Amino acid sequence: MDPMEAIKQTFFQECEEQLAELEQGLLAIEGGETDSETVNAVFRAVHSIKGGAGAFGLEDLVRFAHVFETTLDHVRAGRLAPEADLLKVMLRAADVLADLVRAARDGGVVDEARCEVLRAELGAFSGEDETGDGDDGMGELDFQPLSFEPISFEPMAFEPTAIEADPFEPIGSELAFAPELAAADGRTTWIIHFRPHASLYAHANESALLLRELGRMGEVETTLDDSTLPPLADMEPEGAYLAWTVRLTTERDLDAIRGAFEWVEDDCDLKIEREGGAAEVASVQGPDPIELILAKALASAPAPTMEAPPPIPQIAEPAPLDVAALIRKAQAAEEPVLAPANAVPAPAAAHPATANAANATATTATIRVDLDRVDRLIDLVGELVINQAMLAQRVTESGLGRSSGVVTGLDELEHLTREIQDSVMAIRAQPVKSVFQRMPRLAREVAAMTGKSVRLVTEGEGCEVDKTVIERLSDPLTHMIRNAIDHGLERPDKRIAAGKSGEGVVRLSAAHRSGRIVIEVSDDGAGINRPRVKDIAIEKGLIAPDAVLSDEEIDNLIFLPGFSTASEVSDISGRGVGMDVVKRSIQALGGRISVASRPGLGSTFTLSLPLTLAVLDGMVVSAGSQTLVVPLTAIIETLQPKAAEVHPIGEGAHVISIRGGYVPLIDVGLALGYSDEAVEPAKGVALLIEGEGGARAALMVGAIQGQRQVVIKSLEANYRQVFGIAAATILGDGRVALILDIDALVAGQKGLESPAPVLRTAAIG
Amino acid sequence: MSMTVLTVDDSRTMRDMLKLALSEAGYNVIQAEDGIHGLEVLQGSSPDVIITDINMPRMDGFGFIEGVRRDDTYRAVPILVLTTESDAEKKSRARAAGATGWIVKPFDRAKLVDAIRRVAA
Amino acid sequence: MNDAAHTHHGRELISFRIGAQEFCVDIMAVREIRGWTAATALPQSPSYVRGVINLRGAVLPIVDLPNRLGYGVSEPTARHVIIVAQIGTQFVGLLVDAVSDILTVTDDMIQPVPDIAPEAVKAFVQGLIAMDGRMISLIGLGRILPDVVQEAA
Repeated sequence: MDPMEAIKQTFFQECEEQLAELEQGLLAIEGGETDSETVNAVFRAVHSIKGGAGAFGLEDLVRFAHVFETTLDHVRAGRLAPEADLLKVMLRAADVLADLVRAARDGGVVDEARCEVLRAELGAFSGEDETGDGDDGMGELDFQPLSFEPISFEPMAFEPTAIEADPFEPIGSELAFAPELAAADGRTTWIIHFRPHASLYAHANESALLLRELGRMGEVETTLDDSTLPPLADMEPEGAYLAWTVRLTTERDLDAIRGAFEWVEDDCDLKIEREGGAAEVASVQGPDPIELILAKALASAPAPTMEAPPPIPQIAEPAPLDVAALIRKAQAAEEPVLAPANAVPAPAAAHPATANAANATATTATIRVDLDRVDRLIDLVGELVINQAMLAQRVTESGLGRSSGVVTGLDELEHLTREIQDSVMAIRAQPVKSVFQRMPRLAREVAAMTGKSVRLVTEGEGCEVDKTVIERLSDPLTHMIRNAIDHGLERPDKRIAAGKSGEGVVRLSAAHRSGRIVIEVSDDGAGINRPRVKDIAIEKGLIAPDAVLSDEEIDNLIFLPGFSTASEVSDISGRGVGMDVVKRSIQALGGRISVASRPGLGSTFTLSLPLTLAVLDGMVVSAGSQTLVVPLTAIIETLQPKAAEVHPIGEGAHVISIRGGYVPLIDVGLALGYSDEAVEPAKGVALLIEGEGGARAALMVGAIQGQRQVVIKSLEANYRQVFGIAAATILGDGRVALILDIDALVAGQKGLESPAPVLRTAAIG
Repeated sequence: MSMTVLTVDDSRTMRDMLKLALSEAGYNVIQAEDGIHGLEVLQGSSPDVIITDINMPRMDGFGFIEGVRRDDTYRAVPILVLTTESDAEKKSRARAAGATGWIVKPFDRAKLVDAIRRVAA
Repeated sequence: MNDAAHTHHGRELISFRIGAQEFCVDIMAVREIRGWTAATALPQSPSYVRGVINLRGAVLPIVDLPNRLGYGVSEPTARHVIIVAQIGTQFVGLLVDAVSDILTVTDDMIQPVPDIAPEAVKAFVQGLIAMDGRMISLIGLGRILPDVVQEAA
């Protein structure tokens, strides 16, 4: 890749980080955080985006970032208080900035009117007209290095009006009106009086280098003035005693000449005048009175001149740094980018301890790794686990005693293998933060569209879960947050009437609980309107008009396909997507969703998800001639049924009575076509399972072989979805075993169309 | 022996750009991510020129410049301030801290090399 | 590359027998040939899908090719072989009696399939090759796996 293109990609990655930091910082400030580091971090984020955008010529981005930055600078300097209304504007500006970044990256278009509005709003806060074309940030960046700010001029000695009237007008342009002063070849001769102060050297500038710069511009004659050189005994080691007068004949204008002295203006006496008795054109002076300098300069003029020894030879050689040669040299070495260690071998060797310390810091705590490599590693570890299990099985079959060295060695191997597997899985684990941090913006937008006032509180963002799970969490969470604001929260006036704060709170939290991640979305709204929900369900034919349902069952109606409580489809939660889709996508991740609601107090949706889609805790069972794996999370208990407990119900269907209740009994071998006959209850084992929405069933299998963590392998990778099967795995004997799709089995038993499988596999295997 | 330039910037983008531009121009480049890191990297290296950003976490450019100038070994190393800051106040603060000159972002390679040439023999 | 190779040097095909008939597939699609191992049966699958096996950690579906071509269900033994072929991004194992030969043919040697051939043959046979008095049917692998849209519903 073109190196600049690669850097541009880095820039966009970095932008995403800065945008996240920006939003978090603004939210922290909104939450009362006022320390200067938070404000600085926010400022730096916008500043960095602007800086990089400028480097890539992303003008829209620079222009907007500039206005934003200006407002933030006022906040940083304490000139603007971070009041709530300002923060709201800044949060929206952060959203626009994010859009601009993505538009620049993906080549999209951003609503210019929206940018304009926010620019104006930000400008209003900072008290500047930021929408005009005159100051668009970009222009400022461009002109900055070329011009002199009026502030740096001491206007006493030259024509102040010519410069202050328009700083962008090249000062030298006045020469056009004095053609008689220019030489016939367009060159002008200038007399430059230059007397460095000690501070010039203290800033690590060098007179010799400045004189060399002049030498690059044209013909020079340099006169050294050492008249102020004190006797040796009186010399300060870091004093400045020499002055130079340079006669420069050049095509370059005054601006260019002054440019050479740009960095030392405050550290020297400088006077530049046109030769031939013309009026003084420009002069800058330090603390010394100008008369004194002029007197000294004049006094030195008739004195015998002497050439300044160090600068002259350098002026004669205008390119002491042969860049081309260096590039060739670097290319010849085939290492154009030299590592720091190579650059300075001697000092590094001299201070090994400090060099190491520096290296340790330079190599930051994180590295970027191609995801494919991680997946490959996970795959291989999966193989290792399977191989280890196969080996263990062979050893067991060989009849070696428990105490034999081989068996104990194998136990250790198993332990190590499991640890490696856990460690490798941890590589893919990421904090849910990356999903959570998209939600505040969403909340703001939904609140704005629905006229509601909302505060989104997030907790547990540091909880880690597999990357695949995270990626597939975004859509369901987005929908749930939308729902919580759109349907859950009341309008501010209603809330106030109900004795609540006008601002609703939506809480998004994550926590680890018994090997799963539990995510909750709760609101302090009105709670589920149960009579209304029930009416709708009856209206839509989802339940019988005379159905008697518990509160919990009514709440769960909202997960049914085709259900929507909004009397009209709103822009926000509409689009034909209901909680049924959310539920399906959560189930596709091997997760569950439930709701708890209290009238007038709000609702809480709880998601429980596996930490990874790559491994699963399963119960290995046999059905017919096949070995199958049942996800352990679905199993409530295992039962040894008695023949008397199993009752036929209709043709071919059975129920089993468990503690006085009846649940459907599903013979797995029959359901999947592995056997022609049902297992006799007394000869088999029943697994009481809980499927979607808490529906229970008993799975009849031949025998239980044991519990095992299995590596999930995709069936779809080389084949396709199979009814009743969620995925596959490879057992210790090297054979493929299928993992049951509990919900499909239960639904299939009811004669319903099979829904999506409970578990879609990670892209592994 | 080519010259060594130490760059101090918290932005990965800027670090990459500086490294690319300076390496292509034949300089050895060593890099640091903020002022404190800059001072750490400085120990055990002897750059001919230092280029530093101003706005950085942990220790900003002003603090970094002052830190460099306080150390006798590095007092005479030219320091160029790399910043998008346009107001004169930032420059005079940088100068007061001991900066030699400045480069205004966005920079191109020519601008960068020219600035280095102006302060380093 | 491959096209050029086909034009100048012909294409290489792997031929195998099913009963008395000879078939072949393009060698470019073949990843490996391995012996038969018992497959794990998949529920509610077409009869020609024998199930899945573990191919170095990947789950590989096995298609009973004779059955797919309209012959009876195979009774695989240890002497049967599985041709592991790549179809698009997927890998599939083709169960055949035995691999007989590697042929080199040029495109002009491949003749169209006559209309009178049975549907099952026309669906998979891309062309006929006459060689040394034998007729060899060139199998196109594109439709070997069950059609997801039709059969998954």
